[in-house]
Amino acid sequence: MDRRAFLFAASGLTAAALTPEAVYAAAANSAPDWLLATGDIEADLSPQPMTLIRGRAPEGLAGTLYRNGPAKFRRPGGNATHWFDGDGLMRSFRVQDGQARLAGRFVDTPKRRADTAAKAVITPGFGTRGLPGAHIGDNDDANAANTSVIAVGGELWALWEAGSPFVMDRESLATIGPKAFSPDLAHMPFTAHPRIEPTGRIWNLGQNGKQCIVWRIAPTGELEKAEVIELPRASYIHDFTATDRHLVIVLQPWIQDHFQLPYAASLTWRPELATQVLVLDKDDLTKRRVFELPAFFFFHLGDAWADKAGSIHFDACIDPDAGFAATGATAILTGQYTKGPPPRLVLISLGADGLATMTPSGGTGEFPRADARFAGSARRYTTHSDVRSEAKPLFQGVAVTDWQTQTTQRFDYGAHQAAEELLFTPRPGANEEFDGWLIGTTLNLKARATELHVFDARHVAHGPVASWRARAALPVGFHGAFVKAA
Amino acid sequence: MTRRSNNLTTALSIAALLMAQPIAALAQADAPSATTAEAPQTASLTLTFDGIKTPTGALMVALYDSQAGYESGKAARQEMIVVTGESATRTLQGLAPGTYAVKLFHDVNGDGRMNANPFGMPTEPYAFSNDAKGSMGPAKWDAASFTLQAGANAQTIHID
Repeated sequence: MDRRAFLFAASGLTAAALTPEAVYAAAANSAPDWLLATGDIEADLSPQPMTLIRGRAPEGLAGTLYRNGPAKFRRPGGNATHWFDGDGLMRSFRVQDGQARLAGRFVDTPKRRADTAAKAVITPGFGTRGLPGAHIGDNDDANAANTSVIAVGGELWALWEAGSPFVMDRESLATIGPKAFSPDLAHMPFTAHPRIEPTGRIWNLGQNGKQCIVWRIAPTGELEKAEVIELPRASYIHDFTATDRHLVIVLQPWIQDHFQLPYAASLTWRPELATQVLVLDKDDLTKRRVFELPAFFFFHLGDAWADKAGSIHFDACIDPDAGFAATGATAILTGQYTKGPPPRLVLISLGADGLATMTPSGGTGEFPRADARFAGSARRYTTHSDVRSEAKPLFQGVAVTDWQTQTTQRFDYGAHQAAEELLFTPRPGANEEFDGWLIGTTLNLKARATELHVFDARHVAHGPVASWRARAALPVGFHGAFVKAA
Repeated sequence: MTRRSNNLTTALSIAALLMAQPIAALAQADAPSATTAEAPQTASLTLTFDGIKTPTGALMVALYDSQAGYESGKAARQEMIVVTGESATRTLQGLAPGTYAVKLFHDVNGDGRMNANPFGMPTEPYAFSNDAKGSMGPAKWDAASFTLQAGANAQTIHID
């Protein structure tokens, strides 16, 4: 056992007397700087000003960036053993009159209450086995509400992928509770990656092996329709995509072939089965086509569109296998990382002739996002995380890829930064795609502080036009939503 | 973990476990037996149900007198108690002293079934004696069972 492993093993035994800060201090000589990215937050953050450290806020930019992500992993009697199993902390970064303010509040879930009372992470999760004493009566008892957030009909929904959205108050970030779209659909899974049409209509999936519920939700948040379909295989589905007329469900060969705890151990990597892509007609889910691609693993896809010839295109961030999801995301909680290449950004095309192809962008990427006004229809631009050293599990830059010119603009924050997702918001009055700003966060590992950055979306390589720094160092989160000021 | 598992869905089909006997039997079991004279060697059990959130429908209560019965769903007694408020009570008479356990669910919509979502997760409240909790299935006999002594016994169960 090396020194770092010993320190962390020891911290597990005696953590009752140690604060995370003390553990980090003790481990500082050997722990990697990026371990801060999966640190623990002990309490909610009351609203606090951020300090402007670069440029100034663009005229016309006003609103709130909500971001969700796991932020409490370690408890005296036992830790979460996977990055995806920390308690969801909802962050709000409010930009108004050139100033930025940060607040944060944990989603008040049955899991967080049970784990807090037990002083141990007893609740089983994606990659955490759980401990005796957990009482799981339905999916929402295990819901970490830690993956994403969307703003719907005046509410904020904290999303996980295997349970209900948790409704929160937009202003106070107080948790209202799990959302039941109807009494008979309570506790059904609702993934963290709904696809939202420009009208505000929401499509989403929820999975139980080969069974899959297809949700259609009105812009107000009310249920329009829910239908259970059968999938060709029980692939792990974190994300799917959609055009204006079709749902596109990528079925990677990481397949649930039995059940055991933790859930991730129920999945087997079966590359010989290749990747299937299921295309469903939104108006008639019985109308389906299946395409085939070589085996790859993915978490995230970009919005899809169909061209005039009827071919469907979308971007994907792909890995050769499920290694990071299965084991890598466990190891990083203790500062361990097996060197490997970052995910590659590719464009997948599903031809009207039934053939599927994959075109590399030539670059890397994760957390792809686009201009939401063009969701489902032809578009050019994708923003994504970029620039990663093989020595670290986290990106340190951001980029915009132009699929029309096949070029990528990048900005490297530097090796001391952990880059998080960027979101696009249009300039007031502008109608063209990507005429506006990209807003997102980083964790500055050297300053030990979370930062908020705004870029001109057409000139991301120029660097942020404005940056603010918080007093707090929040662990790296996953996904967010930008809500313009009314 | 409660997600995505057909196996687990089966394991969580508490509805099936609770409802192993037809609902008609429950209705018949509702016939009062309170007039039976209490012989010294028999026991009575007063069950109080607290914490009811929705004052509609009925509580469907099953009493088991053995671990085998508890696990196979063969109830010694079944009761249907109409819900009109935040709590409800029922006294069972003429029981033999021994070890028992209770399973119940709140049939909120009065359709006579323990409702579940399309993936088999319960959508109506349920509970067990001793307020025992299950995890991904009903509470275990060891946690839910209690001793009934000759004479009057009482137990309060929280539901919802």
